[in-house]
Amino acid sequence: MTDVAASRGFIPKLSTLSRFTFVDVVLWALRIGVIIVVIGGTIGTLIKARYGAAQWFDFLVFGVTIGSVYALVALGYTMVYGVLRLINFAHGDIMMTGAFSGYFVASSFAESGFLDTNPFLAMLGILAVAVTTSTVIAVLTERLAYRPFRRVRGLAPLICAIGVSFFLEQTFRGAFGSGVRAYPDPKWQKNTLDVFGFSVPLVEVLVVAAALISMLVLYVIVQRTRMGTAMRAVSEDSDTAAMMGIDVNKVVVFTFALGGAMAGIAGVCYAFVFKQVYFFMGFTPGIKAFGAAVLGGIGSVPGAMLGGLFLGIVESVGPALFLDGIGITAPYQLRDLIAFTLLIMVLIFRPYGIMGERMAKKRA
Amino acid sequence: MALLEVDAIHVFYDNIEALKGVSFSVDTKQIVTLVGANGAGKTTTLRAISGVLHPRGGDIRLDGESLSGVAPHEIAALGLMQVPEGRRIFARLTVDENLAMGAFRRRDRQAVAEDKERMFTLFPRLRERQKQVAGTLSGGEQQMVATARALMGRPRVLLMDEPSMGLSPVMVENVFETIRAINEQGVTILLVEQNALLALSIADYAYVMESGRIVLTGRGKDLLDDEKVQRAYLG
Repeated sequence: MTDVAASRGFIPKLSTLSRFTFVDVVLWALRIGVIIVVIGGTIGTLIKARYGAAQWFDFLVFGVTIGSVYALVALGYTMVYGVLRLINFAHGDIMMTGAFSGYFVASSFAESGFLDTNPFLAMLGILAVAVTTSTVIAVLTERLAYRPFRRVRGLAPLICAIGVSFFLEQTFRGAFGSGVRAYPDPKWQKNTLDVFGFSVPLVEVLVVAAALISMLVLYVIVQRTRMGTAMRAVSEDSDTAAMMGIDVNKVVVFTFALGGAMAGIAGVCYAFVFKQVYFFMGFTPGIKAFGAAVLGGIGSVPGAMLGGLFLGIVESVGPALFLDGIGITAPYQLRDLIAFTLLIMVLIFRPYGIMGERMAKKRA
Repeated sequence: MALLEVDAIHVFYDNIEALKGVSFSVDTKQIVTLVGANGAGKTTTLRAISGVLHPRGGDIRLDGESLSGVAPHEIAALGLMQVPEGRRIFARLTVDENLAMGAFRRRDRQAVAEDKERMFTLFPRLRERQKQVAGTLSGGEQQMVATARALMGRPRVLLMDEPSMGLSPVMVENVFETIRAINEQGVTILLVEQNALLALSIADYAYVMESGRIVLTGRGKDLLDDEKVQRAYLG
């Protein structure tokens, strides 16, 4: 017994001597490096004054646009994580299925001229098909792939999710080819709107509006309805929820359906902003939206919304603001670098996000 | 025929046998208690009744109908509602929402509203805290939420797991008064307690558990006077 006590006393002493481990040094270097880039870059950019107010406003609006798409996708990650503690890595691809199915409707509408003569109804039709497709695929994914893994511990469910991701990508590749298809680009979307004296492309306004309305509806469903409340109850403690008479399977299906619907809307929005679809298009926004969900605190619905917007704005404003100033040419190509640096920083320094629980914390 | 019958159940955690053939029964309108030390298998028994754990042998019957293979949420719908160990209220939901979750399977909105009103009569403190997030309540108040939540399901048998755990002596008194009051309103109660003195004093019938077995049975009052029980549990 005395040996144990002695060695226990000894270890802390040793660790105080070598308090700074190699990892600590690297982490501090990372922090300081990022701070230098952010502050130095910002000062440099402001001194150079290459961008005018209109350009900054453009960056900001585009950031909000793309950020609200990330937010929609992030909601799916965060809600599924909430009820199942599963990271649904196929969620980005579920967004792709929505964008793809919307593409077929959109291009037939564009050919028939319906998209130009009756834009409102046409957009609603495209969204309806995309939402239906994504929702059905999300629910099928849960039923066929994830449910058998429900009680399996360890990495197997996560690997299954990655498998589903590949499956969806390769199925769409097999069915529709690997080429990039151009999304219809109706004239009216090129119109601009006046916002605070700056002109903003109409499509960006529409995307932000669609995303905000969807998120508002989702928030009301989650906060005010019986199933939404049950979803929150299951997120907290699924065993107890079941003992209260809540059918956990139904709640899980409901969660996947909601997430799928949001992904469908996001897919159409994303495709109308970037004007293209292809089988792999869900991957990068999917990973970024996952990052946004972690950033906001995985499991938290408002967190996913905020995280998505924040990530979108940082990746849109960031290149010009931080990188231009330190003399990097064509900073825009480093947009993804900024997004993923942000994700890595969050995972290292604040893994529980802005308003969520620790990723590592599992239910007992 | 007893309302709830537990018939020689064996429950395993992996390969460790936690319940080694436990049998007992609960009659309508009774308070029946399971007492025993930590690790005796009391909570395991309740979780098996609620369908969260699955016995490898034996059977659990409600009104003569076997509950084996019935999902937990269906068992709740049949009228077995639990106040789980450590309360396990939904901490991020409001008091109102917690109560609504107890009544989740019920469609009779009118009666649900009346029941909620009855809960607020039983626990006036909860009426003041209706809109408050349940995680911010005190331990005693959380126990009220957990009890009211289960009662909102109109249970035929209320399963209570260690309701006195972690509460101040005054609150413990309150909890036991409430249990008696609920029982007087006609609810059958199966009570699991470490506080054997209080549990035995309000129980119609009692079972003493020890390492996965029932070692002693009898009327609550009789066990209170039993020498063995006094030595082992009442000091």
